[in-house]
Amino acid sequence: MSLQPFFEWMGGLRFSAFFLESVWPTPIIQCIHLAAVAVFAGAVLMVDLRLLGKGLKDTPLPRLARTAEPFLIGSFVVLVLTGIPQMASTALKQYYSPFFWWKMEMVLIAVILTVTVRRKLASTDESQLGPVLPKVVALCSIALWTSVTIGARLIGLLS
Amino acid sequence: MLRGLFEFVDALPSSVSLRESLNGYVYLLTAHVVSMGLVAGIIGYWDMRLAGMALKWVPVSKVKSGLFPWMTAGVVVNAATGILMVYSQPMRYYPNFWFWLKMGMLVVVAANAAYFHYSIEKTVEEWENDPVAPFKARLAGYVSLIFWFGIIATGRMTAYSGLVPQWWIDLELG
Repeated sequence: MSLQPFFEWMGGLRFSAFFLESVWPTPIIQCIHLAAVAVFAGAVLMVDLRLLGKGLKDTPLPRLARTAEPFLIGSFVVLVLTGIPQMASTALKQYYSPFFWWKMEMVLIAVILTVTVRRKLASTDESQLGPVLPKVVALCSIALWTSVTIGARLIGLLS
Repeated sequence: MLRGLFEFVDALPSSVSLRESLNGYVYLLTAHVVSMGLVAGIIGYWDMRLAGMALKWVPVSKVKSGLFPWMTAGVVVNAATGILMVYSQPMRYYPNFWFWLKMGMLVVVAANAAYFHYSIEKTVEEWENDPVAPFKARLAGYVSLIFWFGIIATGRMTAYSGLVPQWWIDLELG
């Protein structure tokens, strides 16, 4: 099944035309998207560094993860909301960009890792965690979210 | 004088070769964005701790000692890639309104951080466990948050060099 008709439909929406035809809405949502990247990156890193035994290493892991969670979820929601108009208004460019699909695949894998294994680890008492698994999960999380950022930037630069 | 400096760099062989390399700009901008996540991500939570918006239960000095080394690593990459981008295309940035606004905001956050460091941070032991920091520290946090948002936004806007006030266009720097 090809998603091309869906992307063509998105690109043809009045909503997409609005963003293409007006001057300020696109740069403004791009700025908000990028600021949300910073909030999201900080929330991810705080916990991943802690899982690596670095960063805020004197703090209890479950409490730190609970503190980071609203920022993680909140900034992710902002990223999705500001990402949709950028995707819709350039739908066919995205569809034909290998970096767009790379980014979305990485987002999918990263989200699954975050809401399953990483979330479970971060809410577990540390004395019950082995020395290896938290570090592996943290490194995977950092690598996945970094590759999301790289893919995202390359959509604009190389597509 | 500033224009002369930018024109001088523009003509340097190393600037020309970086400017004309196929993927130099792609690598630099991508690394700049990734390292921005590290720098702004960490500074953001430091500022929010000072402003009383996040990590209120973590002592202020612990936030600093735990996260600043990572931020510093990010600053090195972020500054190096930023400088190299300007170095490779000086005459693209020289007439750019958003570039200069961003540089101005960087000066503001640096001055704000220095003021915080040499004033209220001197007594950090007295208040570092308070969930809500003293007014001067909160103010430093809010100022930094607002201007870091501005730095990110103007960095993105650098790509929109035509979307600037008319008075700037009238300066005819380009």
